[in-house]
Amino acid sequence: MSTKTLVRNEQDEEIAPRTTPTDRRDGVVGVGRPGFGWAAPAAVFFGLFALVPLILVAVLSFATWNGLSDPEFAGLDNWKKLFDDPVLIQSLWLSVLLTVLGVAVQTPLSILLGVWAAGHQRNRAILSAIYFVPLLLSVAAVSVLWRAVLDPNFGVPAQASWLFGDGNLFGHQASAIGVLVFVSTWQFTPLHTLIYQGAARAVPQVLYQAAQIDGAGTVRQFFHITLPQLRNSIITSMILMVVGGLTTFDTVLILTQGGPGTDTTISAYYMYQKAFKSFDYGTASAVGLLLVLVATVISLVMVRLSGYDKMRSTMEGL
Amino acid sequence: MTHAATRTVRRERPNFLAGFGSLIWLFLVGLPLYVMLVATFQSRADYAANGPLSLPRHFTLDNYIDDFNNGFGQYFVNTVVVTVCVVGIVLLLVPPLAYAIVRGRGRLTSGVFRLFLLGLAIPAQAVIVPMFYVISQAGLYDNLIGVILPTAAFAMPVCTLILTGSMRDITPELYEAMTMDGASPRRIFFRLVLPLSRSGLSTIIVFTALQAWNGFLFPLVLTQSASTKVITMGLYDFQTEHGVDIPGLLAAVVLSMLPILIVYLFARRALVQGLMGVGGK
Amino acid sequence: MTLRARMPRTAIVGGAALALLLSLSGCGTGSGTAGSDDGKIHILVYGDAANKVEKQLIATFNKQSKVKAVLDTIPGADYQAKLQTVINSKQAPDVFFNWGGGSIKPFVDADLLMPLDDFIAKDPELKTRFLPSVFNSAEIDGKPYGVPMRGTQPVLFFHNKQVLEDAGVKPPKTWDELLHAVKAIKAKGVTPIALGGGDRWPTLMWFEYLFDRVAGPGLFQKALDGDKAAWESADSKKALGMIRDLVDAGAFGTNFDSVKFTDQGSPTLLATGKAGFELMGSWEYSTQQDAHPEFAKKDLGYTAFPTVKGGKGDASDLVGNTNNFYSVLKKTEHPEAVAEFLKLQYSDEFVKAQLGIGNLPTTTNTPLFLQKAASPGYAKFQYELVEKAPAFQLSWDQAYPQSAATSMYQAIQQFFNGQLDEGGFIKAMQALPTS
Repeated sequence: MSTKTLVRNEQDEEIAPRTTPTDRRDGVVGVGRPGFGWAAPAAVFFGLFALVPLILVAVLSFATWNGLSDPEFAGLDNWKKLFDDPVLIQSLWLSVLLTVLGVAVQTPLSILLGVWAAGHQRNRAILSAIYFVPLLLSVAAVSVLWRAVLDPNFGVPAQASWLFGDGNLFGHQASAIGVLVFVSTWQFTPLHTLIYQGAARAVPQVLYQAAQIDGAGTVRQFFHITLPQLRNSIITSMILMVVGGLTTFDTVLILTQGGPGTDTTISAYYMYQKAFKSFDYGTASAVGLLLVLVATVISLVMVRLSGYDKMRSTMEGL
Repeated sequence: MTHAATRTVRRERPNFLAGFGSLIWLFLVGLPLYVMLVATFQSRADYAANGPLSLPRHFTLDNYIDDFNNGFGQYFVNTVVVTVCVVGIVLLLVPPLAYAIVRGRGRLTSGVFRLFLLGLAIPAQAVIVPMFYVISQAGLYDNLIGVILPTAAFAMPVCTLILTGSMRDITPELYEAMTMDGASPRRIFFRLVLPLSRSGLSTIIVFTALQAWNGFLFPLVLTQSASTKVITMGLYDFQTEHGVDIPGLLAAVVLSMLPILIVYLFARRALVQGLMGVGGK
Repeated sequence: MTLRARMPRTAIVGGAALALLLSLSGCGTGSGTAGSDDGKIHILVYGDAANKVEKQLIATFNKQSKVKAVLDTIPGADYQAKLQTVINSKQAPDVFFNWGGGSIKPFVDADLLMPLDDFIAKDPELKTRFLPSVFNSAEIDGKPYGVPMRGTQPVLFFHNKQVLEDAGVKPPKTWDELLHAVKAIKAKGVTPIALGGGDRWPTLMWFEYLFDRVAGPGLFQKALDGDKAAWESADSKKALGMIRDLVDAGAFGTNFDSVKFTDQGSPTLLATGKAGFELMGSWEYSTQQDAHPEFAKKDLGYTAFPTVKGGKGDASDLVGNTNNFYSVLKKTEHPEAVAEFLKLQYSDEFVKAQLGIGNLPTTTNTPLFLQKAASPGYAKFQYELVEKAPAFQLSWDQAYPQSAATSMYQAIQQFFNGQLDEGGFIKAMQALPTS
């Protein structure tokens, strides 16, 4: 990471003296390169409909407001309240826990499924078409379905009491978290499987042929060729999982409503409660902003690691 | 297996372990889907009496028929309009942006990329209240356009991430060659970048379409009349103050996913290829 | 090719294309802008199956009125959230559905609602045609803010006659009889009481009734008025102790937190004989008719909640949703039309239509039509209960301000399943915001 930054700085300094006025730089060095104009419409559009509201959220986080009367400036009150609030602290931990568990379960599963589905056999094609279906269902539908399947008296737990005991899956923290992780895995694994399927097919066959000549078995090939070749896909899919994990809330809303008690009240759901159940928009905005900050830091770090932002240095090779 | 073996050299013997694992997953995926399908062909009374895991007994299509009588057609049209427009906006705005990010070198452009990475992390429900004010100030409340704009905006970060990955696969030599010929950025964009990132484009189409199709929060807060209802809002018709009509709800879910499933089956190849771009190999 | 020159061109092309796309999408889409400025009155209602009666009444109204009414609905679960968002914006409705009590208190405090005194002065029937115990629960600071609509929903104690017979017990009239029945049913290997704890509001009903029976309606009213000590009183602790004992006796089984009423979990337990009792709002009856018609006809029994020996509450006190109400926004531009619309809420047509879909209106003309109800016997039973009840306690979650509901549910669930002890529960309830 540090070398990359270094490279960029050098370039900037190198270019800087020559770039005044800017148009000359574009005219001379950047022949055939798109200018900011190409990015502008998207930036303006996104700014208007995503960033303006976000800025308003930031402002609201320093106010008390119930949506009815005018917002009142409250300084750091909301923030102070939050950091004394055991439910918030717990919710941050739960968010991280759910995200980490989600990544830990989904990543190996979707890599295995993806690599498996990358084979060209017909049965695999049919199966992967079925695997894809959960992705098409809205979260509300998925949650209603699993609630029915996991009903302690009429669902699977009633048939398999050796595994589920009294079936009180939503009555204990550990099992409720387990259900949440499982259901999101069920719904989002297809997406990541597809990512890996595509990437696995792109691995040059030559590599495998060479390995076979060296006498490497399937397992060795998987660890020494397939996995390293999937590195970029793994990071992309992880970014999506992390961001998705930190911002999930409808699964919680429908499956557990944050319960039992506050045991599955993750931050995004906590914010929703503050905003739409308690109508404390100030505090809700503070929680929201906190969540945005956490997710941004994490995704920036991951993007750095993945090399998504290295485009400048690769392009300099031109 | 022998056919497969000739095609992919590395798999010369069947992998029983993987096959077994894939069957377990098939069961896990299939069970709820089975529950869903069976439920939709039962009356409410039968479903309640038999429980979710039972075999279907009295086959009925009433749930599906009721859905159509409840205005599903109108919701369907609205949802199609929203989805098409959202996909349209994203296709119009994101490819030039991704191109600028991959090939541009201005500080502004890289700032914009960072902005979009930030956007990746904004949960929609965090901004929904201010969003309501922005949209209603713009006079777009209870209008499908008011749903389309924010939905598109919130689909853009992921699409940008995917498409930049896909565009970075285009080797520098190709750009160089075109630049040598004196091609303008516009020419490069249309002649080189777009054709070579078709797979990435198909991916963002599917992502965006899925997001728009299943969108919930924006239609909920930003519309209110029956004439602007989308399918996800229509699903609530099966909820009463104290209960849910599960078979009716699930039938509507099946109906709502069918169009996308059909699109998927036809576009599967493009999609899988498109996702190759995501890793930015 | 300067940076400055290039930016606008692409931007303009993109912008123009975008505008074109939007204008195209605009055609054909219903761009019915809501709001009170279109010369109509907007009626905002909880979106569910009962909407067909509201539609019918609005059609009737539109036939007789120059100012037309429009029905807007919000999908159920998110009704309150959405209402709070729009009510102080220019998209606010003229008239809206609510639960009275705490559900409209914040709006009254924000000076958004119109007290209905003037309407009532012009047409006293807007008040006198409704049962007082119901009408009063939409009074705030002594002023009426709501006209009852839809029906009353008292909480009743339902049972499965077959299960009770098998266990050799009668529907309990007193708390001791209930404890005895619980023991007898449990001995048969059946869960004595079905509870949809996953929804949390069904759990709350047990607290509401026990606090009423033990302490009378006054205690909760004190707590609601801000007297935190009420929760620490001996009566409060006695009621909590009784709940604790009932749970510990296994009356609800062990997995009630994973059962819901809303997905038919607990009603099915009752209907299939896997449970003996269920404490539920009056809608249990229509739920059972829908899902288990055989059972509803043959084996579904209902009684009032048992009395508690030595308790201060009257045996005929009720708890539940007293009614749904229509409230009126101060800034409506058509108050006369709104008043006319509200009058329809005690019309014969309204009563008949509500009875037809299983709701029980609380108008004074309701008894005339009870024979036309979907289930006349049941409707009559309920109407008499409500008519005679000395106190009809609005559900706690609706009596308190909305902002208290989440924490209240959490405390209720945690006390019930043992995560919170008595002291913890009392503290949690004391921490709730009162008005």
